[in-house]
Amino acid sequence: MTKLNTANDLEALRKQIQAQRQSIRTTLTLCGGTGCQASQCSDVIAAVKDALIKNGLEKSVTVRASGCHGFCEQGPLMVIEPGNVFYCHIKPEDAQDIVSKTVMSGVVIERLLYVDPVSGKTIQTEADIPFYQAQDRQLLSQNRLVDPCSIEDYLSVGGYAALAKTLFQMTSGRVIDEIKTSGLRGRGGGGFPTGRKWADCMEAPGDEKYVICNADEGDPGAYMDRSVLEGNPHLVLEGMMIGAFAIGAAQGYIYVRKEYPLAVEHAKIAVQQAREYGLLGENILGSQFSFDVEIARGGGAFVCGESTALMASLEGKVGEPRPKDVHTVEEGLWYKPTTLNNVETWANVPFIIKNGAAWFAAKGTKNSKGTKILALTGRIKNTGLVEVAMGTSLRTIVYGIGGGATNGKAIKAVQTGGPSGGCLPVSKFDLPVDFDALYDAGSMVGSGGMVVMDESTCMVDVAKYFLQFLQDESCGKCVPCRLGVDRMLELITGITDGRGKPEHIGLLQELADTVRETSLCGLGKTAPNPVLSTLRYFPEEYAAHINQKRCPAGVCKPLITYAIDAEKCKGCGLCLSACPLGAIKGEKKQAHVIDPQLCSKCGICADECKTQAVTVN
Amino acid sequence: MKQYVTLTIDGAQVRAAKGASVLDAAIEYGICIPHLCHVPNLSDIGACRICIVEQISNGRSKVTTSCTLNVQEGMAIISNSEKIKKLRRNIAELLVAQAPNSKAIQDVAVRCGVKEVRYPFRNSDCVLCGRCVRVCTEMWKARAIGFVGRGKDRHVDFPLGKREDFCKHCGSCTMLCPMTITPCKGPMRPGEEYLCGKCEAQLMITENRPDSCVWCELGKGFQCARYSQ
Repeated sequence: MTKLNTANDLEALRKQIQAQRQSIRTTLTLCGGTGCQASQCSDVIAAVKDALIKNGLEKSVTVRASGCHGFCEQGPLMVIEPGNVFYCHIKPEDAQDIVSKTVMSGVVIERLLYVDPVSGKTIQTEADIPFYQAQDRQLLSQNRLVDPCSIEDYLSVGGYAALAKTLFQMTSGRVIDEIKTSGLRGRGGGGFPTGRKWADCMEAPGDEKYVICNADEGDPGAYMDRSVLEGNPHLVLEGMMIGAFAIGAAQGYIYVRKEYPLAVEHAKIAVQQAREYGLLGENILGSQFSFDVEIARGGGAFVCGESTALMASLEGKVGEPRPKDVHTVEEGLWYKPTTLNNVETWANVPFIIKNGAAWFAAKGTKNSKGTKILALTGRIKNTGLVEVAMGTSLRTIVYGIGGGATNGKAIKAVQTGGPSGGCLPVSKFDLPVDFDALYDAGSMVGSGGMVVMDESTCMVDVAKYFLQFLQDESCGKCVPCRLGVDRMLELITGITDGRGKPEHIGLLQELADTVRETSLCGLGKTAPNPVLSTLRYFPEEYAAHINQKRCPAGVCKPLITYAIDAEKCKGCGLCLSACPLGAIKGEKKQAHVIDPQLCSKCGICADECKTQAVTVN
Repeated sequence: MKQYVTLTIDGAQVRAAKGASVLDAAIEYGICIPHLCHVPNLSDIGACRICIVEQISNGRSKVTTSCTLNVQEGMAIISNSEKIKKLRRNIAELLVAQAPNSKAIQDVAVRCGVKEVRYPFRNSDCVLCGRCVRVCTEMWKARAIGFVGRGKDRHVDFPLGKREDFCKHCGSCTMLCPMTITPCKGPMRPGEEYLCGKCEAQLMITENRPDSCVWCELGKGFQCARYSQ
């Protein structure tokens, strides 16, 4: 590899790579993201490569193990170009068929095609799948085109052009102005205007400055940052370089949690490759700008996603937040001005520089611009990673992209923003994905987790789950977060166990307000959101638990009893043999009964029953 | 030469040395902002959150701890609004429910207006204010004790749970601990979750003249900065 010394070198290399690739007609893109790896995609990739070698096609067909495509539920998946044919749930034994039929003779294999669960139709091309159709893919668009371990792939799709533009055609003031005009706001949860952060950091006195990429994504069910860093690490690196140039930093860090081994590995490879090409190091592309990046691994504490705790952890101290009365842009890492942004925020930067602020600002709402990646999970037909323009309504996401509820049950709520977000009821589904609109409704965009819940979910239980998570993950430094969350959990556990009193609602509300107002860091300030939003939108569920000692969704075990409807029961004996405690008695072909003394309310009998005779009261 | 800035605390003009915290400036002027984890001459970590105040800037109020907030020219601070009093009372209630037998914490709770405790008592004594850890680390540079664990498992302990030679038995940690002040006769027991009111009697004066320091006895109890100076 030769070091690139000028911007022209970079362009020449790009042309050379593109010219080399023109001769290759067929490309098989297999998703190599963590989701698909869990469904054994590595075996599929190896099998496809073997099959190509057997047929002597290894030179003329490219096999690319790309980053996450987003439709993890259908994995392992493959897109074949030309033709945009989309195969899902591929097994290693399908490899030979794919090569001999689709690659060699262009025949589409019917059994590997995607079947839309909403319409029941078989769909041949990726572009026609409703899950992808309703999305607006910007950041994720390159994931399919790029092998994360190959800098050449990234260069061939126009990578590092924004860096060259920044270094040779722009001043740091221009870059910051461009980011300011674009209206980009922090994607990690806070939604702070990125341009303002950079400007403050640039103006802060000090010679040594730092940029940090926060990849310590810990929300349950969220994997936006993981997919971007795993799937396209060079995009994040390029964003960081542009940011470092703008604020005047010479050193950057990517703080990535150790539970993301693939992201750590890909980021390391990317940094190594960029160094070899001279895109990191002294005098990048022959300019005056020098910059290098180090990878730091987090140790598994959720609170280290908070900026000051992350910096403490980077410094080698205990990962605890400190008061932010002096902002991190003035005194951050090692008391030096520091700009910390989320993976997704950095990934947006090269696009803004390349296409201009106006291009970015054209999408979105008044105060929230661009696109946002969301991790859509829960009781819906299509789950996965979706990218939508800001301002898309929750309804479009849940019903349009998600395809609506599974099992024909009614959707009750959507939980946005991870454990610090809130639950919004169906009546609020017309709200747009917009930082301010969701905040006003008592939730937040957050990092982008989105969990859909149907009528079989108890909202009090949901609040309890998130409080448990936050109690475990609180660092314990300040009183409101440590004791306040603990007491809220105590109160809410009392309510789900049937010990709740009417005055507990007021106490819970008051305590939640106190924790929100007085906690030291963002974790504590947002910790009561699940409680506050469920109290606001689902007061009737709390009232049922407290006044009638009843759980309407049939989830809270101390408040429910299982019984068998004698009229519906056929006496098949399925439940009898399935019950782990032997709590069900009954003769063959006669109605069975559950002994409430022995029943542990596990719900296995209800799952086993074919006639829905097991009822929950 | 020392540089000074002027700010207002509860409407009163206060002149304070640059770099001082709002809490120190207030105490200097006899404005009593209740506090627990703050110890003069040690760093402030903002752990107990009792000393919260409202900082007004551009017409917007922000709740923050006065011990970690440095004074700035023209700053406007409100330490006794209804909102702050309520938040402070709730925090003090959490603390006193955790360590109901600590005289210092009872006093703080009474000072913050706690009349009844709505949570079951825990008697876990330590409230993790970190006074002991900081005096050991910062004053004596011994680092013989520190915080161990995270969240609800957080506690103060020796390194690896064993007392090492670098602990010189100086006793500073014990001296600063809010638990070591002799409790009054009526420590609260489970089921009797109210404050006895003896300490409250001392506060008659402060209730009439809110937020002016009267050198109250309870200041001695929780080592009010005025007594230790």
